[in-house]
This record gives sequence, structure tokens and C-alpha cells, in this order.
Amino acid sequence: MTNNLRRNAGRTMRMTTIYILVSGVAMIIIFPMFFLFSFSLMSDYETYSEWPKPLLPRTSVDYRMDHSGNGNFRLSIWNVSENDWMPFGPEELNRNPDEIKKLSRFLNNYGNTQFSEEEILTAMKLTDQDGFYEFALRKSLIHNYRRFFKLYSGAARSVLQSLYTAGMTIFISVSIGGMAGYAFARYVFKGKNILKLSVLFVRMFPPVAIAIPMVVILGKMGMYDKPVGLSLIYSINQISMNIWITASIFMGIPESLEEAAQVFGTSKTGAFFRVTMPLAVPGLAACAMYSFIYSWNEVINAVILTQFNPTFPVVVYKSLLGANAQVHLIAAGSIAQALPAIIFTLFIRKYILQMWGGVKV
Amino acid sequence: MTSENNKERSMPVLTLTNLAKRYNRKVWGVRKMDLEVEDKEFVVFLGPSGCGKTTCMRMIAGLEVTTRGSIILHGKDITDLPPRNRDISMVFQNYAIWPHMTVYENIAFALKLQKKSRSEIDRTVKEVAAMVKIDQLLSRIPGQMSGGQQQRVALARALAVKPKLFLMDEPLSNLDAKLRVVMRTELKAIHQRTGATSIFVTHDQSEAMSMADRIVIMKDGEIVQVGTPDDVYFRSADMFVAGFIGTPPTNFFPVEMKTAGEKVELSHPRFAILISGSDADRLKNNGQNSLILGVRPEEIKVVPEKDSLLSVEVMVVEPQGSFQIVAVEIEGEIVKIVVGSAGKIQPGERLHLSFVEERLHFFNAETTKRI
Ligand SMILES: Nc1ncnc2c1ncn2[C@@H]1O[C@H](COP(=O)(O)OP(=O)(O)OP(=O)(O)O)[C@@H](O)[C@H]1O
Ligand SMILES: [Mg+2]
Repeated sequence: MTNNLRRNAGRTMRMTTIYILVSGVAMIIIFPMFFLFSFSLMSDYETYSEWPKPLLPRTSVDYRMDHSGNGNFRLSIWNVSENDWMPFGPEELNRNPDEIKKLSRFLNNYGNTQFSEEEILTAMKLTDQDGFYEFALRKSLIHNYRRFFKLYSGAARSVLQSLYTAGMTIFISVSIGGMAGYAFARYVFKGKNILKLSVLFVRMFPPVAIAIPMVVILGKMGMYDKPVGLSLIYSINQISMNIWITASIFMGIPESLEEAAQVFGTSKTGAFFRVTMPLAVPGLAACAMYSFIYSWNEVINAVILTQFNPTFPVVVYKSLLGANAQVHLIAAGSIAQALPAIIFTLFIRKYILQMWGGVKV
Repeated sequence: MTSENNKERSMPVLTLTNLAKRYNRKVWGVRKMDLEVEDKEFVVFLGPSGCGKTTCMRMIAGLEVTTRGSIILHGKDITDLPPRNRDISMVFQNYAIWPHMTVYENIAFALKLQKKSRSEIDRTVKEVAAMVKIDQLLSRIPGQMSGGQQQRVALARALAVKPKLFLMDEPLSNLDAKLRVVMRTELKAIHQRTGATSIFVTHDQSEAMSMADRIVIMKDGEIVQVGTPDDVYFRSADMFVAGFIGTPPTNFFPVEMKTAGEKVELSHPRFAILISGSDADRLKNNGQNSLILGVRPEEIKVVPEKDSLLSVEVMVVEPQGSFQIVAVEIEGEIVKIVVGSAGKIQPGERLHLSFVEERLHFFNAETTKRI
């Protein structure tokens, strides 16, 4: 009885410790990401005038309009950290259409809230009636993302460049890597082991160290500052990765399955496409995922090898530089950069999980 | 021999001529094979591991390039044809059924490639599935099935194409002992029903003996003997076959021959026997004095002392139910004897033995060939 109790207590202790550790690790990974995401939704005002930051970003903003004397108006915003109304915008407001227009824009740009000129006029009317007027506005959550793409010119184009580069990288590295992986898995030939090692060898060079030759060679090929050139460089790295993944996948698919297909009516090529290929799809999907993530996220080579046609991570990277960095906009850029890789992974997760479960034969 | 001559000799379905395979210019898989397989025949390749059974079968299937020789199927030279044009089908040792297709798709695969009509495919699939008793499993995925069921799928897939030649490479070796015996019977029944000319590879001699019309015994990439189960058992071509076929295998005694008038006397340090009749003539014609006497375990009899050839002490007794295997030592060699189960024999007991004289085998001591 006591023994049992002690054992249970011991188990509870152990599980508790494990949970604490696991959640600690999860916090370390998740919290910065969450923080970044939260930042990407903040308005200018939240970013620079409120401290400490709230854990969750606001979805609506409270404003208050009242008189500033001599019949003019003034606007305040509810500051969460101060727990008080703070002045927002020009000290004096009149009904001048120009100023109203300016205020509307100000609300949009600094508070991430939409408030049209007519609505401002209505608010002024109501203020005249009651002496003050309080209202809540829904915060636009995609405002910063839009701003990022507007502010950092070429960001939208760079997304296309990035997608193009990633697509080319996937195509080149999965097809060549897959073919080489198949050869490594199925055939015995001279120098196979040396070749296997040399496949890894190309990954050993730090990109910065070989930057100059790369620029020169790509320049000579007429591929400098072009997605094709960049995807070629990425493929060098990725092909070796894909060879190793696909070779082990193909080794796991018994050759007799192909032989059976040949006996029952296909050619050698037909056997590959009807039997081996469908069974290797999870592995190929994993390769595609790795290639996409690598190409999409890569910065160093992209900085070196592009000039007027940067990829998206280069734009994000450049937005980090300089004194005028706007943290919340960069956060938006960073999240925008992280999103496609996550979406792509979710898209092919079925295959990835299959691969982790092993090819069932 | 005579029976074969009397049989009407039709054109053989399969002819292997001087067939050989050398891997990587080094290892011989098959050294030399000459074989004719008759229509509707069930031929079994039997031999120890590594003797080239699989290699030979893969050459017939077209999965291995031949080093030399030719393969003729129904009068057509198929030596260099790709597997799909050979009109053969095969059951693989590890089944090799495609895990990403249902059982139905597996069986229908070849038929679809042959552009058969949908209704015909459906009919054939159902027919062969019923034949191997998997009609309940057609929509299943192979991964969720037992070894025995997968085996049946592989069989159904091979039967569906109605081939000229049906190859099976140790199809039963991955099954448990009991299921193996069941499948053996079923395979034989299927063969009798379809009449498909078949080559079956095994290294299990009881499988070979029970299923084969003819057994091809191989050793080191060469054929040692081709014959009916009775041929290889009662008229083993050499010491290898005699020592390979039968459980327990043939016992060998080195003997010296002396002519004694009409008869010949074979003397061993522990016994001497007189051989008469045609056996004696053959031995005399052979002319060699040192030879090997082969006696099958069931042809050594326990007899009263006065009739005995020699007396020995029992070392080990292995009861097998309907009979018992008794091991004794004669001149440093273990000799096994099969005795009926009536009367339990104890280790240490003295047994008086003699041989069934008309069933003795004689082998050349140097060439090991049958005399
Ligand atoms: N792919 C190969 N490369 C090189 N040598 C091979 C290859 N396949 C078989 N061999 C060799 O050829 C010989 C015959 O092999 P094979 O597989 O035909 O034997 P087997 O009779 O089928 O044996 P088992 O009963 O064990 O299946 C063996 O010595 C083997 O080592
Ligand atoms: Mg084999």
C-alpha cells in the first residue's frame, strides 16, 4: 500500500518534471515567434508609446473626442499601459476639410484604424451635443503587412522572385537528386563510395568563402542577379541532401517489386513509374519540402548573388538595417516570410508523416 | 528410362541449351544447364543454397542477362527478350506484391497492361481469386495481410496472366511449416486444374518429392541429375544426390571388391557381403576395386544375430512417431538406420544388422558416380 503510494508519487514527480521541462522548451521556441507575430499586428502607437507591451495585441482601439476650448476639438487614445487617455494627433482640430482628411489618414497610419471623414464630422457633431464622444474602432490586422510591402519597394516583386527561385530549385534538385539517389540505391559501380562522399563534400564550403568565384562564374554564364542562377547555386547544396534522402528511400523499396512489374508487362522505365515512383512519393515530398524551405529562407547567397532582383528574405534582411527600422513592420515582413514555408509543409504533411512511418512494404 | 522412350515425345515447351551465368566476370551463378521441359510438366529445381537455382530461374524470366547459351520457349528464342515479352509469369520468394495497390489491382495489373476489356479483367480476377481462396480480400491493401494471404495474392497474380510457363522461386519458404504443407497440396491441385507448365524452385526435398513430375538436382551451378522422384531416390546418379535426397540421407561405406566366381565380395573392416546377379556383373565390368557402398537408412534391417552382417551398439535414438531413427557408429562414421516404432530401442543396446541386398547402391570412389 505505502509502496504503491510511493511509486505513484514518484511517477507524478517524474511526469511533472518532464512536463515542466517540455513546456519550458516549448516556451523558448514558441514565445519569440508569438512575440513576433503579436508585434506584426501592432500599430505605430502601440509599438512606440505603450510599455510594457500587452501579451495579446488589441483588436480594437478606444478613442475619445472632446473640446479643446474655443470651439475646437482634440482627440485622445486609451493607452493600455498608462491606463489613461493620452493625446493623439494634432492638439487643435477644426472643421477644415483638409485637417479632417489629415486626421483620417493619421488614424489609419498610426492607429491602424479606419475612420472616414464623414465619420469624423459626425463625431464632432456628437461632441458638440454631449461635450465629449467616446468610440471604439476595429484595428486592421493586415495593415502592417500592407505597409511593409508598400514601404519596402520591390518586396512584392521579390516574393515572386523567391517563389520562382524556390520552384526552380525544387525542380532541379529533386529531379537530379532523385535520379542520382536511384542510381546509388540500385546499381553497383566503380567509385561509388567516393562519389557518395563527394556529394557531401560540396556542402562543406561556407558560401561566403566561395562568394567571389560564384559571382564570377554566374556572371560569365549570364546568370548573375537572376533567379535561375540563384537556384543553380541552391541546387548544388540541395542535390546532395536529396541524394541522401532518396537513396535511402529507394533502398527501402525492394527491387523485386520492380522486377515483378517487368515480368507482368512493363518495361524497366514503366516499372519505375508505376511501382517505385508511387512508393517513393513521401520521400520526394520531403525532398521538395527541404528544398523549398532552404531556397525560401536562404539569405547569404542571395545577398551576394543578387543586386536589383533580390529575393524576399533579402528584402526582409535589408529592412532590418538602418536607423529608420520600424520594428512592427519588420515583424510583419518576417511573419510574411515565415508563412509560405509553414503552409507548404502543412500542404504535404501527409507524405512527410508517411515517410516518418516508413514505407510499408 | 524405358517409360520416357515410350512416351510420345512432343515438342518441349522450354529448352535450355548450354545456359550459363557469371556474375561480374567472377562468380559463376550457373555453369552449364541443358534441360527440356515438357508441356504441362511440373519440374522442381532442387539443390543446396547457392547452387544457382534462383539464377537459372531469373535467366528464364529475363531478369538476368545470360552469359552464354540459349532459352527457347515454344520454339521461340527468348534469350534476349525483355521479361514482358516472354509469356511467363513468376511467383517471387518475398511475394513482391505491390504495397500501394489493392489485391484486386495487383491481380489486374498485367491484364490492364494487356488492354483486356474491363469485364474480362473482372472475370479473370474473380476466377483466380476464387482458385486461391482470396475472393474475400480483393479490396484489401497487402500491408494488412498475413504472409499466407500475401502468398496467395502473389499466386493469383501469376495465374491471372495464363502464361506459357509458370515460375515459382521458393514460394513457400516464408510460410510456417503447417501452412507450407497445405499450400503444397493446393499448388498441386491448381497445377492439375490449369495444366500450366511449371518450374518450381525449392531446397526442401520433401516439397520436391511430393510435388514434382521431374526433379532437377543442381550443385555448384550444374545439373547433377534429372529424373522422377523415384529416379533420384532409388537410382541416385552420384554420391551427392544419394547424400542429399532422403531424410536421413544414404549411408556410405568404403569397400574393397574381390571376385569370387560368379559373385563378387565387398569387404569392409566390419563386414563382408556377397553380391550376385546383375549387380555383380556391373561391378566386375566397372573394373575398379575400391568403391563406395551406399545403403539407405530404411534398407538396413535389424535381424536375429544368426542372420546378421554386423553387430553395433546404439548411440542415439530419435523417435519420430511412426518410426524411429537409430544412430550407430561404424568405423568412426555415424550411420543412421530407420526402424519401425514397434519395440522401443534404448541407447547402449546391441543391434544385429543386415542390408536389403537388392537395394544397394554402388559408387565410384573417385568420380563419386553411380556404378
Ligand atoms: N547478384 C549477384 N551478384 C553476384 N553473385 C551472385 C548474385 N546473385 C547470386 N550470386 C551468386 O551466384 C551463386 C548462385 O546463387 P543463387 O541465388 O542462384 O543460388 P540459389 O540456388 O538460389 O540459393 P538459395 O537456395 O540460397 O536461394 C551464389 O554463389 C551466389 O553467391
Ligand atoms: Mg534462391
